[in-house]
Amino acid sequence: MKTRLIATLLAACTLASIAAGCGGSEAPAESSSAAPESSEAEAPASSEAGTPAAGGTYSGTTKYPEGKFVFYGYGQPQFMLEQYQLWFDMHKEATEGVEIEMIQCEGGEDARKKVTLTYQSGAMDEMPDVVQTATAQMMDMAKNGILMDVTDFLQPLEPEMLDGVTGDVQYDGKMYALPDSFRPQLLFYNQEIFDQYEIDPAQMDTMEGYIEVGRQLKEKSGGKVYLSFASPSQKTWAYWGRRGLWPQAKARIWDDEGNVVFGSDEGTKLAASTLDTLFKEDLLLRSQVMQPPLYDSIRNGEVATFYIGAFWDEFIRKNTPEIAGKWRMMTAPKYEDIGLRGAPVTGMMAIVNKPDAKYADLFKDIWYDYMFTAEYRNQHAQNMADEDGPCWNPISKALSEDPFWKSPDPFYGDQSFKEMETVGLKDAAPNMVVTSSDAEADTIISDELDRYIAGDQDMDTTIKNIDEQLKAKIGTAKN
Amino acid sequence: MQASLFYKAQVWFRGSKTERHGNVMKNFQKGFKKHFNAYLFISPFFILFLVFQLFPMIWSLVLSFTEWNGLGPKEFVGVQNYVMLAKDPTFWTTVQNTFLYWLVAIVFVLFFAMMVALLLSYKPLRARGFFKSMTFFPYVCATVAVGLIFNMLFDFNAGLINEILRMMGLEGVAWLTSTSLSKIPPMILYVWRNTPWYTIIIMSGILNIPADYYEAATVDGANVFQKFFKITLPCLGDILFFCFLTLTVESWKIFAEPYVMVGPGSSNMSMFQYMYQNSFVIFKMGYASAIGYILTMILLVFSLIQFFIMRRNGEA
Repeated sequence: MKTRLIATLLAACTLASIAAGCGGSEAPAESSSAAPESSEAEAPASSEAGTPAAGGTYSGTTKYPEGKFVFYGYGQPQFMLEQYQLWFDMHKEATEGVEIEMIQCEGGEDARKKVTLTYQSGAMDEMPDVVQTATAQMMDMAKNGILMDVTDFLQPLEPEMLDGVTGDVQYDGKMYALPDSFRPQLLFYNQEIFDQYEIDPAQMDTMEGYIEVGRQLKEKSGGKVYLSFASPSQKTWAYWGRRGLWPQAKARIWDDEGNVVFGSDEGTKLAASTLDTLFKEDLLLRSQVMQPPLYDSIRNGEVATFYIGAFWDEFIRKNTPEIAGKWRMMTAPKYEDIGLRGAPVTGMMAIVNKPDAKYADLFKDIWYDYMFTAEYRNQHAQNMADEDGPCWNPISKALSEDPFWKSPDPFYGDQSFKEMETVGLKDAAPNMVVTSSDAEADTIISDELDRYIAGDQDMDTTIKNIDEQLKAKIGTAKN
Repeated sequence: MQASLFYKAQVWFRGSKTERHGNVMKNFQKGFKKHFNAYLFISPFFILFLVFQLFPMIWSLVLSFTEWNGLGPKEFVGVQNYVMLAKDPTFWTTVQNTFLYWLVAIVFVLFFAMMVALLLSYKPLRARGFFKSMTFFPYVCATVAVGLIFNMLFDFNAGLINEILRMMGLEGVAWLTSTSLSKIPPMILYVWRNTPWYTIIIMSGILNIPADYYEAATVDGANVFQKFFKITLPCLGDILFFCFLTLTVESWKIFAEPYVMVGPGSSNMSMFQYMYQNSFVIFKMGYASAIGYILTMILLVFSLIQFFIMRRNGEA
């Protein structure tokens, strides 16, 4: 009898634990408009005069509901946590009883995966309040009602923000994420190398001049100094292609109807031939980005420039402090005939459309202060500078004019990195059109480009293969 | 044995259909009542198996006939995913890569595991406990952490391996940036990581071989090689076969090594990795499920071979 009781208990425990683990507490919201209504009803967040949507800043009178504010972040989310914590410290009464929890994700896809799996399980109370995302993933989640429509909040603020900032957060005519950074492509260069070989860096204002500088460096250094670097394995397309040469050359993957035009597009041919020249003439050091060997090459003066997103600043600052004072920045090179520089990258955070999105307004308040309030934003920027953490330019026009955002930086021989982040946006190319199919397109393009870099095929074959695969696997891009 | 089975079958067929059904049910009920406690005890496994293995397996089979991005409605596409896979060059590259990983794993892991196991079982060896612990060390290291170190070792410009080659007057090798060579570092990592586990298994087999056999062989004047080929290897037959099968299943599921030590494009990508990429990077759940099912079919073939060989040997 005792044996049977134990066995029954065991089976019952197993069943109970499965039932407990699989039980979703609340049904997912059916439409993207459901949650904002409930959030307004339940969250006693800042309203009317106090809301940023009404044009002001946080009123300081709202008390947010107790609980845990959860966000999913990637890259270096620990600094986001610091950013939010600073706001909490500055608004202690309002945030009393609210904790912040950070969940680290590998990247935009991983964040989307985590959100998707939680959403599918129906455990809506396990969903984060806010998720860091990128355009392709944002579109997928917005289409399925996972993200909150923030158009009413964001649209009135558009005139106060830098031009083009909200372009990447839109889907189907609505806005589903709050942009928190808008970072240009920049050209970082080692002034010492240019002095040593008596080369004028101003030549690098154009892409044609940039390649010419590479040739001079190679010749004068006897092949020791490379113009720049290429990171094999999926990074060449990300850094040189999608944000760099392709938008600069006005290249396209899809036409307006979503049909593949990669193989026939003139812009693609121009961008690809530039990349081809850089590789054929051996002007790029092959080294993995963000890995110790590349940092060694920087220290040894083997890489003269970095044509890359402004985010690169925080990596060289942290990993190669020895180069302080030796490097400078300039705007990314442009094609002489086209006149466009690299496309900026929009960082974005999206509010999750939970049935009781009780921290939606809290996040809007933090975001608003971060974008438009000098006291909070500058304090955070100063903290980041002290820690060698990431710091990017404000997207508010007014704040960009603040002298703080033009302050000199000893790391770049007193040239202002902060100012360069805004200056770098001048003549920026518009980003390539992003569709829901772009994540797959990126893997196809990366794979074929990698085979080109490895010397398996020439550039014409690469373009042809990409075009064929895009047509076979995707056909028509979906919005 | 065969006659007895034939007799039983004859008796069974002689009865009517209803009778046969009734007998089966009666026997089952009798057996169930008799062993009720035992069934209760094993039920947790079966409950977990049903919920976390059988149901997802059936669900992913259903998914493999759909187009679904993990969100929103699923679209039934019939066998389109399987047809597309047949035409997908990346998929075939991953099949070739995985086959190579399997081949290398079988040859090198079993060879090194056998050699190390023999060394560790060598009686005059001093500090055997220390060497055993050291041997097992690679297996307890996290693959991702070691993979990052291997990435540095195999770096073209500043990696230790190429530094050594250059010191010897040779050219540096593009280990991770060449499509033909990028499979080698993950293979080395896989062999290095998995050899200890199989060493332990083989060593347990060696220790179970009666010492009398070796003593008799020594008396007969057998040398070391003769002892190895005539005693050790035959006695380890079953264990080596078990190692072969488990290693086969494991190596076809290789993921972490090529995932950490990324080569150009899909040059060193495994099937499992491609499945992951399709499901959680580009969110083609149906396509990923189809890859999963093809992988399952391959592993099923290996398992069936195992089953038939074991049956032939009278073990099942």
